[in-house]
Amino acid sequence: MSEAGSRARRRGGLTSELGPAKQIAVSEAGRRAAATRRRPLRPRQVGAYVVLALVALLVAFPLLLALSYSFMSERDIVQFPPPILPADPTFANYDAVLHEIPIGRYLLNSFVVSGAVVVGQLLTASLAAYAFSFLAFRGRSLLFFLFLSTLMIPWEATIIPNYLTVRQLGWIDTYQGLAVPFMATAFGTFLLRQGFMQIPRELWDSARIDGASSFRFLRSMVIPLSRPALATVGIYGFLSTYNQYFWPLLITNQTLMRTTQVGVAQLRFEESARWGVIMAGVIMVAVPTLALLIAGQRQLIRGLTAGAVKG
Amino acid sequence: MRRFAALALIISFVAAACGGAPGGGGASSDQSALAPGKDVKPAATITWWHAMSGVNGDALNKIVDNFNKSQSNIKVVTVFQGTYDDLLSKLNTALASNAAPALAQVYDIGQAYMRQSGETVPIQAFIDRDKFNTSDFEPAVLNYYKYQDKLQSMPWNASSSILLYNKDAFKAAGLDPEKPPTTFGEVTDYAKKLTKKDASGQTVQYGFGPSIYGWLFEQLMATSGALYCDNGNGRDDRANKVVYNGPEGKAILDWWKAGVDGGYFYNPGIDNAGATNAFNAGKSAMYIESSASLRGSVNSAKFTVGTGIYPHPDSKPATGGNIIGGASLYIMKSRPAEEQQAAWEFIKYAMTPAVQAQWNLDTGYYPVVKAAYNEQASKDWATKYPQFTTAVNQIRNSPQNRATNGCVLGVMPQARARTQKMIESVLLGQATTQAALDAAAAEMNDAIDKYNKANK
Amino acid sequence: MRWTARDARSLAVALLYLGPSFLLFAAFVFIPLGRTIYLSFFYTRQSGAISTFAGLDQYTELLTSPIFHSGLLATALFVLYTVPAGIILGLVLAVLLNQRLRGINVFRTMMSSTIAISASVGSIIWLLLFNPSLGLLNFVLSLVGISGPQWLIQPNTAIIAVSITTIWLTLGTNIIVLLAGLQGVPEEIYEAAHLDGAHGARLFTRITVPMVSPSLFFLLVVDTIGVLQAFTQIHLLTRGGPVDATRALVYSIYLDAFQNFQFGYASAQAVVLFVLVLVLTVIQFQVIERRVHYQ
Repeated sequence: MSEAGSRARRRGGLTSELGPAKQIAVSEAGRRAAATRRRPLRPRQVGAYVVLALVALLVAFPLLLALSYSFMSERDIVQFPPPILPADPTFANYDAVLHEIPIGRYLLNSFVVSGAVVVGQLLTASLAAYAFSFLAFRGRSLLFFLFLSTLMIPWEATIIPNYLTVRQLGWIDTYQGLAVPFMATAFGTFLLRQGFMQIPRELWDSARIDGASSFRFLRSMVIPLSRPALATVGIYGFLSTYNQYFWPLLITNQTLMRTTQVGVAQLRFEESARWGVIMAGVIMVAVPTLALLIAGQRQLIRGLTAGAVKG
Repeated sequence: MRRFAALALIISFVAAACGGAPGGGGASSDQSALAPGKDVKPAATITWWHAMSGVNGDALNKIVDNFNKSQSNIKVVTVFQGTYDDLLSKLNTALASNAAPALAQVYDIGQAYMRQSGETVPIQAFIDRDKFNTSDFEPAVLNYYKYQDKLQSMPWNASSSILLYNKDAFKAAGLDPEKPPTTFGEVTDYAKKLTKKDASGQTVQYGFGPSIYGWLFEQLMATSGALYCDNGNGRDDRANKVVYNGPEGKAILDWWKAGVDGGYFYNPGIDNAGATNAFNAGKSAMYIESSASLRGSVNSAKFTVGTGIYPHPDSKPATGGNIIGGASLYIMKSRPAEEQQAAWEFIKYAMTPAVQAQWNLDTGYYPVVKAAYNEQASKDWATKYPQFTTAVNQIRNSPQNRATNGCVLGVMPQARARTQKMIESVLLGQATTQAALDAAAAEMNDAIDKYNKANK
Repeated sequence: MRWTARDARSLAVALLYLGPSFLLFAAFVFIPLGRTIYLSFFYTRQSGAISTFAGLDQYTELLTSPIFHSGLLATALFVLYTVPAGIILGLVLAVLLNQRLRGINVFRTMMSSTIAISASVGSIIWLLLFNPSLGLLNFVLSLVGISGPQWLIQPNTAIIAVSITTIWLTLGTNIIVLLAGLQGVPEEIYEAAHLDGAHGARLFTRITVPMVSPSLFFLLVVDTIGVLQAFTQIHLLTRGGPVDATRALVYSIYLDAFQNFQFGYASAQAVVLFVLVLVLTVIQFQVIERRVHYQ
């Protein structure tokens, strides 16, 4: 993927100083400025709003429905026709979840593990991406291809041996076992590489002339200038670790070491008929990631620009 | 309560010591050597993996709490591992890497796998060593978990498959609510009468709504008096093939398919909870399930729930009967002797009449120990839920033979999943009944071959 | 080309940077992959331990097995149903969201929210929607006169149900990437096109699509790889059924390893899946990437 991307880059050259990320910032500022000049809503715009609202509602509908059901009593749920809003909203389902499964502990576990993975990924991916973008060395293409290959190895192909490894290390039911296998990321490396390659060559050249070591350049120039890309990798890493199901299921035997996804799936098996309770559990588990998305949306978009748009 | 439990423990020890033959039966070989020595001190903590969820899970934890409080030598820690399938899957990986618990609850069909894995200490060993008395245990239940007359695991939660029906719907359809159908033909007749459609032709109530669950098929084979696999259902010797693709299997599938095609049987697919929900909501007037779900239905249905015996063929074969369901407790060999000892101590506690009575009161599984019925709690409960006596009577009335002992196969989980796929293909019209049966049998025989070759 | 001392030194430096990642990849990706390939040549006991050498037998058994064929079909159908539809839908919605309206961010957040939803959470919610008695889906359909099928019980609708869930789950990613792509298209290009008389559909196909083709290609690759490995939706919605209709290769591996305890056979399937992913990705790069327009 990035071989082609770098080919493209050489073809087209850097069109602007800091690439699309800056472009977006500029255009957004412009848009905001335009929007603050108050104009009356034209019918065409009203139409646009209506369409947007309908579509957004449709897309978010399953989630909103889950929210609604989480406040419904069992009696409401089995009504026919199926209800959309609770007739008699109640917190009983949330109560049940809090009492029946140690959801607080599950959330803690998920946060600790996801946080650890994010830190690990940022470290390993920054170093690797830096090598791939700024250092010239023999065998770079081969090593890059090796990185790429990890994206295509399905997890099923490695999960049993991985379990045995983790067990031999004594990492069953531990945070290390949940986090360490995921602390390297090819996807994150690529994203960061795209971001790093937006940094103008002149900076690199002048730093070399000044005699700065490559590590120093990484630390003092590259990292600070790549915040959006780093944020994207961080958010992605957090989301994907938080959302893991099979690996935590496999290596945690103790109840208290389980993560949120395992917990909520078990809730589904345990309370197979109590949809209200299941939905309450689902909402409680989804809220942190939704909050993260809302907070980090901008970073996510900006960072992804670097990876996807330019190839 | 605590003192009573301790007393019960002592009494059972004494009774076993003074009593007659050891509970295991077979006088041939004493397996005591397989158990740790009598004077081994039990471990301070052991782990118990189980698959009891919801109400049953609460009941289990209550028992464990009581045990832990009743003495200060052993603490049992319980871990819920999901469904029975998930638990077995986890156990398998755990055993392969020495991370197993001391005690595990494994379902009925996992018994061959557990025994052939060589990873368990047969309960017979402890029974022989301590001369533990099992003469008061339900014979049907014990027989299920014995292999060549040696008890492999301790039966813990025993259920039976029964017919549940909606007494109010019976009345509305002009049927006698105290006379449920007993044969395939009767179920069909009743189901036709109970099916109701609304003005637009949509069915609002189906007569009969069984889920596509392999266990139900196994039970139907048993009430038909037929073997599921060869070599005496795998109990005389290791099974080499499945034999359910004979006339009995065909009769079952033909009956089921006719019902679905005729529109008076409801098909909820493989979702057991869906079948229960449909029944509780009044969408199907009858269905077949484990007696363990009776408690839940009685609680949540808005009508009176009746129970009847599990359907059998019109010819009422004399050898037909029911296989017990549920699960049993295994002690893992890979754990140190102290933990095995502790696990046995807990098992003995769990099998006392008082604990058994409480367990069945809270869940719907019936007691394995007959003396539990003499407990006041049991008597009260039998009065409250008279529907339940159907299940245990049915088990007691079943003839004890290979068909009703149930099939023992190392690849039983796969077999069960395969019969589900077979039933699906028939109900969806993708294959004729005999073709579907033969296809399933062929595939399973391959799998059994592979298993036998790899696991000598 | 010979290696100079300088070559060696620069490689050594690079390896310092790449070291941590490679160590982890070696330990948790490459070596386990090797072990799995090794396992695929053996019959295994139920515990996973090696029993006897099987050579290529498990592969031949696999390639002649009807379950494998239907698994390939199911996998192909999943890719076909989810990837194009998901990307096209994402593009349409991204265009919709690419307007200069006040408060547009609210709509953007709502529509891309699915990126934050895990496969398990999403599958559980859709399980409720597909439920024959409680599910809203069939009720809504009945309002417009369509009698909804029993989604998870009929084979062809089961595939569609899992596909719908997958499309919904990936919609957030698709929208975000395409929106970013759209916003990267300079205004001048649109203005120039307008001056040339292009608008509406023509503008869309001649200008917009080529300009976002890097994003489209990125999503094509990423979504395909994702669908080929999507396990959770199948596990929670259909368990591979009915009648193996949704038993894609990835789920078959799980069943053979963890339900049937045939680790050697499952390993062979895992190797096949790996080769499939590799081949598909290479094809995508060789054939389709040429048509991508880079700025």
